[in-house]
Amino acid sequence: MSDIKIKIREFIIENFLFGEGGEELKDDDSFLDKGVIDSTGVLELVEWIEDNYQFKIEDDELIPENLDSINNLAAFIAKKTSK
Amino acid sequence: MRGDHVKGQSWTTVSDLLVYTACKYPGKTALIYKGEEISYEQLLVKALRVACWLKEKGLSPGFRAAILTDNPIEYLSAYFGSILAGGISVGLNIQTTPRALSYFLQDTGAQAFMANKRFEATLKQVLTKGTGAEIIALASGEELTDILETGDSAELHLLPWRSSCDLAQIIYTSGTTGKPKGVCLRNRNLIANTMSIIEYLGIDSSDRVMAVLPFFYSYGNSIMLTHIAMGSTLVVNQNFVYPNKIVEDMLKYRVTAFSGVPSTYAILLKRSNISSYSFPDLRYITQAGAAMAPSMAQRLQKLFPETKIYIMYGQTEASARLSYLPSEHLLHKPGSIGIPIPGVELRLLDEDGRPVPVGEVGEIVARGENIMAGYWNAPDATQKVLKPEGLRTGDLARMDQDGFLYIVSRKSDIIKSGSHRIAPKEIEDVAMELRGVSEAAVVGMPDPILGESIWLFITLEHREGIDKKSVMRHLRRILPAYKVPHELRIVEDFPRTSTGKIQKNQLKQLTALN
Repeated sequence: MSDIKIKIREFIIENFLFGEGGEELKDDDSFLDKGVIDSTGVLELVEWIEDNYQFKIEDDELIPENLDSINNLAAFIAKKTSK
Repeated sequence: MRGDHVKGQSWTTVSDLLVYTACKYPGKTALIYKGEEISYEQLLVKALRVACWLKEKGLSPGFRAAILTDNPIEYLSAYFGSILAGGISVGLNIQTTPRALSYFLQDTGAQAFMANKRFEATLKQVLTKGTGAEIIALASGEELTDILETGDSAELHLLPWRSSCDLAQIIYTSGTTGKPKGVCLRNRNLIANTMSIIEYLGIDSSDRVMAVLPFFYSYGNSIMLTHIAMGSTLVVNQNFVYPNKIVEDMLKYRVTAFSGVPSTYAILLKRSNISSYSFPDLRYITQAGAAMAPSMAQRLQKLFPETKIYIMYGQTEASARLSYLPSEHLLHKPGSIGIPIPGVELRLLDEDGRPVPVGEVGEIVARGENIMAGYWNAPDATQKVLKPEGLRTGDLARMDQDGFLYIVSRKSDIIKSGSHRIAPKEIEDVAMELRGVSEAAVVGMPDPILGESIWLFITLEHREGIDKKSVMRHLRRILPAYKVPHELRIVEDFPRTSTGKIQKNQLKQLTALN
């Protein structure tokens, strides 16, 4: 799980924060509340997850509980890849 | 007929829309937000508390009240409270930065400012540096909550009297010159447009509208005003990051209406489970911001077979609605933006102000009670668009034999991305502030979701200058998120005219070919 979190954090910082502000982003911070990702950013995030972890995210899985923080994302990826 | 009852209404100020509705339907739900329901009476009380607080600050009528919050209950309370107290509401885009916020506060000369807790850090940065504006009434975070929940309430009959000609609101919109301009809307502009929209959409108190668009933009603003005027319910979820949450709300609250921009529908169709459900209560949906592609129209009509679909067109400078395509014409007038709304005249004129023949291209020029008073503190910019013949929209269109309009192109290079209008110059100027950047050009490229995405091209002063990451970091630090380019290209040179000017149309064509 911690490896997944590290990868997620790197992706978010690289693509949405452009290398800045990473130390301020906590694992349980909501991307939505912090303004890190917008509606098209979520599509980019989904593409990255599907490419890197080799599973398809269904439309009804596009919910904050699965995607809206490093913790939520890591847990979702771990669940989907352990099946 | 639905909508007819709006005729004969005698609203004078925008705040009358809330006051009259609260008197008629006090217990009716005005707003649903994150499961919380607020009645019209409760909303009016909150607005009167804001009005009381503002009045106690001794502000003279016509003061500007800036509002920065993503909480719609706070927003509506502050919006109506400001107008009740004799002020002018200025709703600000929540995707803001210290520089942007500083600009808006200085430009409006805001004397009141109400902000949500989320923006306190940005606000602190701005106030520490000084804005040039003298803010007499400032409430943020817990202070604002206290005012709304427990503050003293103003007596309606003791509040300043305002006429229909007085300004009610300033909405900022991007223009070609770079800096956003404040569109000044009088009470009569907004009320005329509200009444017209209610009439052709047939809005009434039984409606429950899914409000996904921000209220600080003119489209969201008119959704808010039209439904409050009629005592309808606003189901608010303005975060489109997770479209399934929107679908959930649509089903839970059995909404009768939905309004979006092209990217709203693209996201719903592409990445939500909306097609798994049916919406028997959905009476109508609207789209504004661009004409609807025939393929999209067919998909939506198939998804919502009993629902009327209206395409609409307008500009912030027109409060905003100017035309609509009646739903029965959706499929056999593909790509049309329709006919003028009741009370508005639209003509297609050439550069010299002469009407163009049917089928030929001319600029849309509009006249009606909904046309703005002008741009705030920008008489030159105002004179460029408010002419004796009417509001020069900058949109080129042709008209068919039946009087239906079709947009051909925009005169300016404004980019329409999602629900935002973006001036390329503003981004170019910021890019060129970075040492090492020689020239910058921003264009909008077609995007299946956004309509247009923002592409930035730069040339460097030295070959091994700066890298893309540092450019993007710089832009993100200064620009609001929705203005940060989606693509960045470092190029050797630009296509130019004989006088050396960058040819953006050619740049777009070359990019599309590559």
